[in-house]
Amino acid sequence: MIGRLMLYLFNFYFYTLFLLCVIVLIPLFTIFVAVTRVFSTHRNTMRRFRRAMVWWGRVVSALPYPFIKIRYELDGANDVSKPYIFICNHRSATDAFLMKVLPHEFVEIVNDWPFKIPVLGFYAKFAAFLDIRNMTHEQFVEKASRLLQEGVSIVFFPEGTRSRDRNMGNFHSAAFRLALETGTSLIPVCMTGNEIVMPKGSSLLRPGTIRVRQLPPLEWENISGMTPFALKRRVWDMMKRELSVMEGDA
Amino acid sequence: MTEQEIIEKTNRVFEDSFEIEPDRLNPEAHIFIDLGLDSLDIVDLIVALQSSFGIKIRTDEKVRDIRTLGDVYRFIATIKNGEQAE
Repeated sequence: MIGRLMLYLFNFYFYTLFLLCVIVLIPLFTIFVAVTRVFSTHRNTMRRFRRAMVWWGRVVSALPYPFIKIRYELDGANDVSKPYIFICNHRSATDAFLMKVLPHEFVEIVNDWPFKIPVLGFYAKFAAFLDIRNMTHEQFVEKASRLLQEGVSIVFFPEGTRSRDRNMGNFHSAAFRLALETGTSLIPVCMTGNEIVMPKGSSLLRPGTIRVRQLPPLEWENISGMTPFALKRRVWDMMKRELSVMEGDA
Repeated sequence: MTEQEIIEKTNRVFEDSFEIEPDRLNPEAHIFIDLGLDSLDIVDLIVALQSSFGIKIRTDEKVRDIRTLGDVYRFIATIKNGEQAE
């Protein structure tokens, strides 16, 4: 009973601060980007806009600290000078925010529902997040290729939907086809603990620690000869193994 | 072409083109859930089957009804039998 009350109080505290952030920070970021747009190119404006989104995400992610801690673990080098395709497992609605730990400029590949969120949906659209459900593969590859050419990384959740438990679902192949068609290297990202902090079907946050582990890149030279299906399976196997290690199952 | 030949040749397509282990290739295996293919992989599967069997597969209703590996065997058998009848 007391535990439940504490949980509601914690969520009241978080969502109040979250709302304040929406009301205060988003207009500030918007004004900042709009003013600097006058003095810079479209490309630089978009870079700044996506950077602002990252900072907004970082602020929101920091709000529940120390009740919710986020640990970013980097395995190997992190070359921010070129774009990558990030492959992430998906257990929670918090995952989109967790990506803000990545140091790259990026867009996320999403279903249509994030675009329907008031205010945030507009910003996701403006940042060129791609709604993969409502375009053909050819349209998707065209738009995603343009972003990669501009140096923008792309974040995928190839399971397509949040898993209900710790079992990782089958991957869709669009990310791997894009990598092979555009000559882009891949980086797997494994997340654990997020399914406890905000499980699927709940909007209540719970205390816990989230780990975001970035695995070493699969460089293009080493994957170029693979079929999309073989590449998909290789990455799935790698991530499955790593998740087991992170959760102490291996 | 016998039923066994169709099964062996189809399985070889799954092994060569998708690197799926032979022990996972049983008629009840769901090609999306158990074997992990998606709608884009189906296009690759059709191309590989066409090349392997020397047939032309139209992406019609019957293809969309395929769920298991057994469905693939029957689908190929229908086409091959149709060719023989002609």
